[in-house]
Amino acid sequence: MTCEEAKNRMTDYWSRTLGEADKQEFSAHLAACEACRSEVSRVDALWRSLDLLPVEEPSGQMRERFYEMLGAYRQGLASAETQPVKRWWTMPAWQMAAAGALLAVGLGVGYGVRGGGAQPPGEVSQLREEVASMRQLVALSLLQQQSASERLRGVSWSYQVEPSDKEVLNALVTAVNHDPNVNVRLAAVDALRPFTGSPATHVTARNAVVQALPKQTTPIVQVALIDFLAELKEKNAAPELRRLVSDPDIDSGVRKRAEWALERMQ
Amino acid sequence: MMKRILMGMGLAALAAAQPQPGADGRQQITMPFRDPSMPRKLIVEGGTGSLTIRGYDGQDAIIEYTGREIPGRAGRGRGGRNASEPPAGMHRIGGAQGLDITEESNTVRVNSSGIFGGRARDMVIQVPAQTSVNVKTMFGGSMTIENIAGDIEAENFNGQVNISNASGSVVAHSMNGKITVSLNRVPPDKSMSFSTFNGDVDVTLPADTKARFKMRTDFGEIYTDFDVKMEANAPPVVEENKDRNGKSRRRVRIDGTQSGTINGGGPEMQFTTFNGRILIHKK
Repeated sequence: MTCEEAKNRMTDYWSRTLGEADKQEFSAHLAACEACRSEVSRVDALWRSLDLLPVEEPSGQMRERFYEMLGAYRQGLASAETQPVKRWWTMPAWQMAAAGALLAVGLGVGYGVRGGGAQPPGEVSQLREEVASMRQLVALSLLQQQSASERLRGVSWSYQVEPSDKEVLNALVTAVNHDPNVNVRLAAVDALRPFTGSPATHVTARNAVVQALPKQTTPIVQVALIDFLAELKEKNAAPELRRLVSDPDIDSGVRKRAEWALERMQ
Repeated sequence: MMKRILMGMGLAALAAAQPQPGADGRQQITMPFRDPSMPRKLIVEGGTGSLTIRGYDGQDAIIEYTGREIPGRAGRGRGGRNASEPPAGMHRIGGAQGLDITEESNTVRVNSSGIFGGRARDMVIQVPAQTSVNVKTMFGGSMTIENIAGDIEAENFNGQVNISNASGSVVAHSMNGKITVSLNRVPPDKSMSFSTFNGDVDVTLPADTKARFKMRTDFGEIYTDFDVKMEANAPPVVEENKDRNGKSRRRVRIDGTQSGTINGGGPEMQFTTFNGRILIHKK
C-alpha cells in the first residue's frame, strides 16, 4: 500500500468501516511508514480527547442549525463541483478537516450549553479555526450564486463568520454595491453591522458604508444606508447627505431621512 | 446552442389586425423551451403596461400581448408623429414595438423595452409551472405571478406585485406598490425577502411553515395570526441632544428591525417596508 492509498483509507479507518483485508494492509503500511503512523496517532489522540468530553444533548434549535449548516456546506460543495476546478475536497486531509470541523461544531455547542468557563484545549481551538474557514467558504460560495434566494442565504451565513473576516466583508460590500437584486443589497447593508464593531475591519466597513450611499438609487437601500450612517455618527458622510437633501430628484422620504441623519450626527 | 430570435414586429404583421382604430388586437407568440437538460427559466424585462405570468400545464412559453392607450400619452409617438391616431381610413397592423423574445439554454428571455408606438403593452406569459421566473419592470403597471413552482424574483418599479399560488422561493420588491404574496408550500431551505418602499407587505404562508422572520417598518405596524416567538430586540437607543434654543432634549428610539421564529425557526424571511404595514397571514 502506498501512502496515498493509506491516506484514502484513513477516514474509513476512523469510522471503523474498513474491510478486514484493507485493515491488515493498512496496519502493515502504518508499521512501515513513519509519516502515516504519526498522522494517525495525532488524530487518534484527538479522537480520544473528544471521547473524554461529556456528552451534551444539543437543544432542538442547535440540531436544526447544525443540519442547516451541513446542508449549506454540501450545497456549497455541489455548486463548486460544477466548475472544473481542482477537487481539493476529495483529498483525505480536507475530508478530515471537514469531519473535524463538524465535530468541533458539536463541541462548540457543548461549551455553549455549559455556559463556558472551561478553556478549550489547543486542538479544539484549532478546529474552531477550521469551522470558521468552513463558514467563510459557505458564505462566499452562496454569495456567488445565480439565484437571489441563495445569495440571501449567503448574507445570512455571513453573520456566522468572525467579524474580522476581510474576505467575507469584501464579498458583502460587493453585494451592497453591485448585486442586481434590491433585496440582496438591502440584506447585505444590514450584514455589514457586525464588521463595524470589529477592530480588524471597522475602518474598512465604515468607509464602505460611506462610499456605498452615492452608488445607490433605490430608496429603500438608500434609507437603510442613511440609518446606518446616522447610527455610526459617520461625519464623512455629511457632504453626500447634504447633496441628497438638496437634490429635488431624490425621493422625499429619502431626503427627510438624510436631513434627520445630519441632525443626529451633530 | 442555437439562438432563436423572433421579432414581435414581424409576427404582428402576420396576425389579424383589429378593425378598431387606435387599438391593436391580441398577439400571440409561442416559444418552446428546447433544452430539457437545463433548468427552465423565464426572464422578463418589462416596459409599460401590466404583466401577468402564469404557470400552466404545458411545455412552451406562450406570450400574448395587447396594446393600450396610455392616458395623457396619446400623440406622443416616436419622432414626434402622432402614433396612436391612424390616418383616415387606415388601421394599424404593426410598427415599432421593441419586443424581443429569445430562447437559449432553456432560458426564454422577453425584452419588452420602451413604449409600444405610444401605447402600453399588457402582456400575459404562460409557462410550465416548474419554471424559475425573474421579472423586472421599470415603468409598468401591476405585476401578477400565479401558479409558479420554480423560484421567483420579481421587481416592479411603479406598480404592485401580486404573487399567488407559489410553491418555490420568492424574492420580491416594489418601489411604489403593495407586495402581496401567497405561498402554497415553503421550500425548507430557501431564504426569502419581500420589500417595498411605499406600500404594505402582505404575505400568506402555510400554517406549518418553519422560518425566522426579520421585520422592519419605519412608519407602520406589524400584524400576524402566527404564533411568533419574538427574539430580544436591540436595546433602545437613548439620545440626548440640544435643540435650537439650547434646551436639552431626550429621545428613546427602538431600532426598527424585529426578529422572531415560527414553528421552531427555519430559513430567514425578511419583510421590509418604509411606508406601510407588514401583514403575515396563516393559510
